[in-house]
Amino acid sequence: MMKKTEKTVHTDQIDNKSKYDEGFLHSTTTEISRETFVGQIPIKQRACLEIIGFDEENKVIELGEEEVIIGRIPECGICLAVDNVSRQHARVIFRNEEYFVEDLDSTNGTYVNGIKIVKCVLRNSDQINIGGVKILFTEEKTLQKT
Amino acid sequence: MMPANEAKPLVTFWGTRGSVPTPGRITEKYGGNTPCVTVRYQDIHTIFDAGTGIRNLGIDLIEEYNKAGKDLSLHLFFSHTHWDHIQGLPFFQPAYIKDTNLTIYGSPHKEHFLASILKGQMDFEYFPVGMSEFSADITIQEISEEVIHLGEVVIDWQEQVCHPGGSVRYRLGIGGKKIVYATDVELNHIFNPRVDTKKNRVLAQDYLDFVYNADLLIADGQYTEEEYQSKVGWGHSSIQLLFDISCQAHVKQLAIFHHDPQHSDKFLDELWMKSRSKFRSDYKKMDVFWAREGLTLAI
Repeated sequence: MMKKTEKTVHTDQIDNKSKYDEGFLHSTTTEISRETFVGQIPIKQRACLEIIGFDEENKVIELGEEEVIIGRIPECGICLAVDNVSRQHARVIFRNEEYFVEDLDSTNGTYVNGIKIVKCVLRNSDQINIGGVKILFTEEKTLQKT
Repeated sequence: MMPANEAKPLVTFWGTRGSVPTPGRITEKYGGNTPCVTVRYQDIHTIFDAGTGIRNLGIDLIEEYNKAGKDLSLHLFFSHTHWDHIQGLPFFQPAYIKDTNLTIYGSPHKEHFLASILKGQMDFEYFPVGMSEFSADITIQEISEEVIHLGEVVIDWQEQVCHPGGSVRYRLGIGGKKIVYATDVELNHIFNPRVDTKKNRVLAQDYLDFVYNADLLIADGQYTEEEYQSKVGWGHSSIQLLFDISCQAHVKQLAIFHHDPQHSDKFLDELWMKSRSKFRSDYKKMDVFWAREGLTLAI
């Protein structure tokens, strides 16, 4: 059973508000139709790789649904011309609405947050390390530009 | 030629959370699904536990099955039958496909036969689809032989008594590599210097021998030291003790597993920042990390 004291407190609060706040009783707010609430703000998921400290300015690559190969040769979507990076070192894939990084049998391995991985789902702020090059994965929801 | 990574045993974490699924934004990094780990070596698929993580594994296997058109041959080992380790099985799609061969292994020392426990959770009082709806060729066996041979994969096991109802730890030997799956055990009880009984000394030595020199130890580290003090007897270990014992046993890589439901990503990351210097300085030869859903390692 509810305690009597608890119930009294609630009633008092409501009574006090109605006495002191005249606007509460005589609101001038206009009613709006329910349809107004249905319209949606167009949002898209934006995922990026930021290559840290490799060039003078950090390079940011926006990811789509296409696979991106990271490696030493110029044909790679992300080319890191460093000896410690394999020709085709790793790839980033989009699958079931998630991004994964996958090692492509590289010589020096692919690391996520310091762990040597074969494959790993990527989460916001994960740090990938490829042949000593640091890459930050970020994901956010942004306004879809029309 | 087979890619180098595929020639090695591949360990994938499908569920790393202990006790209860914890979906949501605050656990998405380390994962909210309950225990399920696979060790795959060429065509041999071994699965450890069927927590909710096994659902995603099933989806992955079905995709592979549809592409390759090959029958699925799977070996599922249960550490024990508490909910968090069995509750994903009714959602494991390969179990509903007739081209799947699924062998299920579990402890011989349960009060009820393993099959009846698994069937029980699919009773219509709990779940709309009965276990008889599984179309796969399923064999359920209580492990009796000391060592199980699956091609080149050799699996041995030991009972773990320090968990309510007991549990089993497994060790896989594959081409000279050693992977141990040892969850749901209260090491703090076994290694408690205040309970220095002959029985405990034997249990402690058994544990150390079993995990000795493991290339990967996947082990229960549900609590911090402080949390453990109010969870004595609940059957789980503290992270610090697990770390110390793993160092003592010369483990090469330690995956701290069975995360407490209250441990958010932020909590685990902050705990990592506090502990990492100790993890790195006390025993430099061991890599330590939080087991993370969606992570595959080559051993």
